Amino acid sequence: MFNRRTLAIIKRELKAKLFSKTFIIMTLLVPVFMFGLFAIQILVYSVSEEKNPNVLIISETDEISQKLKNELDQYSEVKSGNYKISYETLDTTSFALRLKNLRADLLNEKLTGIVYIPKSALINKNVRYYSPNPSNRPLFDKIKPAINKALINIYFEGKQLTQKDVDYARGNVDITGYRITKNENVKEQGAGNLITLFLFTFLLYMALLFSGQSTMHSVVEEKGSRVMEVLLSSASGTELMAGKIIGVVITQVAQMAIWLLPIILLITTSWFALPADIIFQIDLSFVIYFLFDYTIALLTFVGLFATVGSIFDNSQDAQSGVWPLMMLIIFPFLIAISLQSNPQSSIAKITSLLPFTSLLVMPARLTLVQVPMLELIASIVINLAVLFAIFPLAGKIYRVGILVTGKKPKWSEVRKWLAMKA
Amino acid sequence: MNALEITNLTKTFENVTAVDNASFEVPEGSVFGLIGRNGAGKTTTIRMIMNIYQPDSGEIIFRGKNVGQDFKDSVGYLPEERGLYKKMRVFDTLLFLSELKGKTGKDISKKANEYLKRFELLDRKNSKIEELSKGNQQKIQFISTILHDPEFLIFDEPFSGLDPINTDLLRQIILEMKDEGKVIIFSTHLMDFAEKMCDNIAMIDRGKIILNGELDEIKMKFANRNVSINYEGDISFLKGNPIIENMEDFGNTTGIKVKKPEQVQELLKLLVEHNVIVKKFNADEISLHEIFVSQAGKEAANV
Repeated sequence: MFNRRTLAIIKRELKAKLFSKTFIIMTLLVPVFMFGLFAIQILVYSVSEEKNPNVLIISETDEISQKLKNELDQYSEVKSGNYKISYETLDTTSFALRLKNLRADLLNEKLTGIVYIPKSALINKNVRYYSPNPSNRPLFDKIKPAINKALINIYFEGKQLTQKDVDYARGNVDITGYRITKNENVKEQGAGNLITLFLFTFLLYMALLFSGQSTMHSVVEEKGSRVMEVLLSSASGTELMAGKIIGVVITQVAQMAIWLLPIILLITTSWFALPADIIFQIDLSFVIYFLFDYTIALLTFVGLFATVGSIFDNSQDAQSGVWPLMMLIIFPFLIAISLQSNPQSSIAKITSLLPFTSLLVMPARLTLVQVPMLELIASIVINLAVLFAIFPLAGKIYRVGILVTGKKPKWSEVRKWLAMKA
Repeated sequence: MNALEITNLTKTFENVTAVDNASFEVPEGSVFGLIGRNGAGKTTTIRMIMNIYQPDSGEIIFRGKNVGQDFKDSVGYLPEERGLYKKMRVFDTLLFLSELKGKTGKDISKKANEYLKRFELLDRKNSKIEELSKGNQQKIQFISTILHDPEFLIFDEPFSGLDPINTDLLRQIILEMKDEGKVIIFSTHLMDFAEKMCDNIAMIDRGKIILNGELDEIKMKFANRNVSINYEGDISFLKGNPIIENMEDFGNTTGIKVKKPEQVQELLKLLVEHNVIVKKFNADEISLHEIFVSQAGKEAANV
């Protein structure tokens, strides 16, 4: 299978892919695209905050109004005049009337919202928020702490408590996560882990989908342009398939290594300083494992995508035939992303050992927790076994498929190819 | 001495027998024509010779050995359905296809340049294939077939789509290769062309070899009952004559088939007796086309 012909095909693939403009563009574009995705999310969130909101706070007692004003006046948004807040004092019945009168102002957005704090709030902290769009929480979430503080201050006043007691009662529980691993000291855990989870999972997902799809289309193109028969007069179908897949794998692994270069530098040098709460738990051995896992994943999926490409002679048909394969990438991706809530759940453990899914789930788990060495080795062995099991079958379909043109074959026919002498 | 011996070759797809127990030989140093109409089984036969398809049964022996990778390395194959990488450059394409055959280095580059010059494509060597015209792409494909200096050549309809000047150039190169002692197989449905260039033929119809051997011998065998004539006068009296099996008017000439070989002289006598002015009386010429129609027709009648 590996000989000068395979080598010639690999060289051609590298020339067409690795040393091409497309490679340089993709290498630069994907990180831009990924950061773009994050940036868009942040942008959308910040835009969802109201510009210059105008809020009316109505309290049942003057005391609440006064205390609340004191608190809110300290907000930078209020100081700068960005938030316009007015205060009124009304009892429940007159408030109902007032609300009726203000309905028009609310609907034509002269007023962003009305907060009503009844006296009962001093017992049950129940506050009402009236707005045409009450689920727009960023604004309310912003003033909520001030309301809480004002209510607590009034509640404890005259109850023989020192300011220290009040501060303690008011304080929230602050959780610092510590990650327990087998051989190291207890380490403080930061936001870095979640970032690595998303980063590596996204990279794996996008790179696999992209390289699978592009390989499929290039096989369809070779079939369509009839270059296949010329190649087959020199080399066997197996050599063509092996050469193509190895060419793609080398190109993609090189690209991934380039993308990971900043991370490798980050964890092996002290050239970059990160904010203190972003601590990367991963080390160089993880990056090496990740590249290894990516190589196995590429061999598996690129091989399968190439096989699907060999079955069809135009891109539309191939696209409609490839969705089961896409699910094999999308489904584990969704599991991997959901790991953030519990990387030790039984679903996480099982899917990090199953064929195909473990290719995405296992590296994701590793970014969050320490996985027993035995499980890690088992997942690698299982994936290698699957790879060696499917390749002969894929090769058979490929050898027959690349010579079949004309009508779109049925799956039952493809099954027959497996039994056919090429 | 035969270069290629094919024995009892059979290949079935689903329910269709594409090649049915085919046997023929290709002698050393010959130009061999594999002829038959479209869908007769020519391409399937060639693909089995090229080891692209595995035959269901039968043997293909090239110079004493079963065909395999060695054979692939020493053959140049121009498939009927042409194709090259569209985005690849002309020169890269030639070197790549040559490398697949195991030939690399300066000699190949030099030869590639020579062929490009001969086909007047040297200025396009760095163009992408897709930038060339169809005819020029075909020339590149032809060069790639012969660049690695194969001992054995298989051309499937090599002249289709070429203008007369390039057809001539191609023919010239093919004849040069014949003079160098290379074995050349043509697969074609154009009988005129096969007749002009081939020494040996195998005629295939519905997967079966219906005729096989030296072209001259085949023609002799069929000729002795066939006469083609040019004349002035009326030959309608021949219709219904007991010695005549069949008459066919080709315009300029008329083909007459007698029932027995010895009746040819009798036919000439009859024509003279009936005052027909005979301008040409050719008793050994029969075109391959006529042979093919008669043989393929016979097969069809048997089915």
